[in-house]
Amino acid sequence: MSHPLTGCKRLGLRIVPASRFVSTSVVADIKECSAKPYSKVPGPKPIPILGNTWRVFPIIGQYQISDVGRISRLLYDAYGDIVKLSGLIGRPDLLFVFDADEIEKVYRQEGDTPYRPSMPCLVKYKSDIRRDFFGRLAGVVGVHGEPWREFRTKVQKPILQLQTVKKYIEPIENVTNCFIDRMVDMRDENYELPADFDNEIHKWSLECIGQVALDVRLGCLDPGLSHDSEPQKIIDAAKFALRHIGTLELKLPFWRYFPTPLWAKYVKNMDFFREICMKYIDEAMKNLKNKDSMQEKDLSLIERILITEKDPKIAYILALDLILVGIDTISMAVCSILYQLATRPAEQETLHKELVRILPSKDEKLTAAKLNQMHYLKGFIKEVLRKYSTVIGNGRTLQKDMVICGYHIPKGVQIVFPTLVTGSMPEYVSEPHLFKPERWIKNNESNSNSFIHPFASLPYGHGPRMCLGRRFADLEMQVMLAKLIRSYKLEYLHEPLEYKVTFMYAPEGELKFKMTERE
Amino acid sequence: MVPSFGLVRYYVGRRVNRLYERTSWAFHRFVGGSATLHHGEYEWLEPESPSQVVNVVFVDKDGTRRPVRGKVGDNVLYLAHRHGVCMEGACEASLACTTCHCYVDSEHAAKLPPASEKEEDLLDLAPFLRENSRLGCQIILTEELDGIELTLPKATRNFYVDGHTPKPH
Repeated sequence: MSHPLTGCKRLGLRIVPASRFVSTSVVADIKECSAKPYSKVPGPKPIPILGNTWRVFPIIGQYQISDVGRISRLLYDAYGDIVKLSGLIGRPDLLFVFDADEIEKVYRQEGDTPYRPSMPCLVKYKSDIRRDFFGRLAGVVGVHGEPWREFRTKVQKPILQLQTVKKYIEPIENVTNCFIDRMVDMRDENYELPADFDNEIHKWSLECIGQVALDVRLGCLDPGLSHDSEPQKIIDAAKFALRHIGTLELKLPFWRYFPTPLWAKYVKNMDFFREICMKYIDEAMKNLKNKDSMQEKDLSLIERILITEKDPKIAYILALDLILVGIDTISMAVCSILYQLATRPAEQETLHKELVRILPSKDEKLTAAKLNQMHYLKGFIKEVLRKYSTVIGNGRTLQKDMVICGYHIPKGVQIVFPTLVTGSMPEYVSEPHLFKPERWIKNNESNSNSFIHPFASLPYGHGPRMCLGRRFADLEMQVMLAKLIRSYKLEYLHEPLEYKVTFMYAPEGELKFKMTERE
Repeated sequence: MVPSFGLVRYYVGRRVNRLYERTSWAFHRFVGGSATLHHGEYEWLEPESPSQVVNVVFVDKDGTRRPVRGKVGDNVLYLAHRHGVCMEGACEASLACTTCHCYVDSEHAAKLPPASEKEEDLLDLAPFLRENSRLGCQIILTEELDGIELTLPKATRNFYVDGHTPKPH
């Protein structure tokens, strides 16, 4: 089972404040009565008229407040476990919670239709601009309440079940092999990758998500694409999204009131993605008709959904959601992970040794069983996500009043769980400043004194609204690391890069890794 | 721009429907090995023969014993739903939550296949974790599990301070 000491810590954390678990309404009453009012929650004082909007221009969830990583750390240092940002123009108050026990409490009380605020552009596109297309069941991103639950119920089993995910090991391995070949060709005379290597990583994740969401090789990794070829158009559209959604949501939110030129481009861009999804899903549907075997084991994720859902629109919308949130999140995480590997030679050697043990020959095919043995590799990914969490945090809008950290918090307030901060707090993680992939490996001897609060670092969230694409995100990152580090050594020989939030937390600058083949 | 859904749906739907009817049994049993595609339907079927019967005892959080007749292949979570046992299952057996957390008696715990890494990761997040903790949605009944005793923890997700009882989803 879990590591004994992690378990002890966990049990300890629960036994001490045992009153919290007592199932009597008396406790609730006492708590309600003794709770301090919402107005007493500490936080920066809003400036009259401007409120706190000048301090941050926020979006929680998929994309973060610009520089929220730094801001949330500052807020914690200045005000403590719970901090309120009020007086934000045109939006509810933001409440930062830095107490992992209280974060746990919010997750546990969230009910079956948790509300996760995210992506206002997409919300407007789905619920207003193209309402006729999306209708009531508009997907999982930016949708709430019963329609969200209905849609999620339709799709979540095939997407989260390991049996479906397993089938994508081979396709993703093929894409990754292609990508690694391309990396080899891209190197300069010093064996260094080009300055815009992050763009290439985006193409890799685009190609991977094409396999998952559309059952197709989009062709984004083909060399020498002409500017009017479909893969190039898809790459451009993804790039547009990456560059401009931040601007639309953070800097120029005027599209909320009237259609700006950038907004018009955004709509066109989204229409393009939608057409691509429909085109390939229609093809998948034709292929399905000619398929001999209808056994689950022979069906892809999309095929399973097409078979159970008579309406192909469910598959169109799911594919669109997967593509919109599955490109940049995964590729930014991969940028960060590769940078950490390249700058941590000792850890890279340990990883390489593990890979050589599990994959004795370089061209050995990956299987679920082999991936399962890669404990250090998984620990490495988890440790990067703990220390340099790609998403700064997660968020929930309270659906009912709650007592948090001794304050009465009214419903409608947006709670922010800043994973990036809580994942590095000494109260919840032993030796948080150390980069130790081993801490995630269960039953590892070197962990005898280590502990992690299970809710301190939850990059994918938890509960019914947990990241729907997490298994595929994990799989893509694992395959990438396994294939690359098994055969190549990665170094970074330039000035260290700084981590910044553009809208995800990642190293900013040129990822000119040196890539040399291993013996 | 939007194709005629009606027509596409009719055409594909008819074909798919037929295929689905023909193969639905196979679907039910092969999806995931841990749950059925239309979750919970299989658990409502009666066992076809006495040899299929697997007896299960659920122990509520107040200690009440609830003997239930299950069958080979039943998913414990959906079996609990069928018999009105308070096992929640908020994520519908997709391994995203811990609301079907339960304790397995030691004799039968050893007969279960070991938890997958994902299940272990989730159990780390479960309140009142013990050595014999498992997620109900990951337990599929087999003949040798006959007599299995599953105890529900004091709380799975909610703290129940208001006495609220969660409904199955």
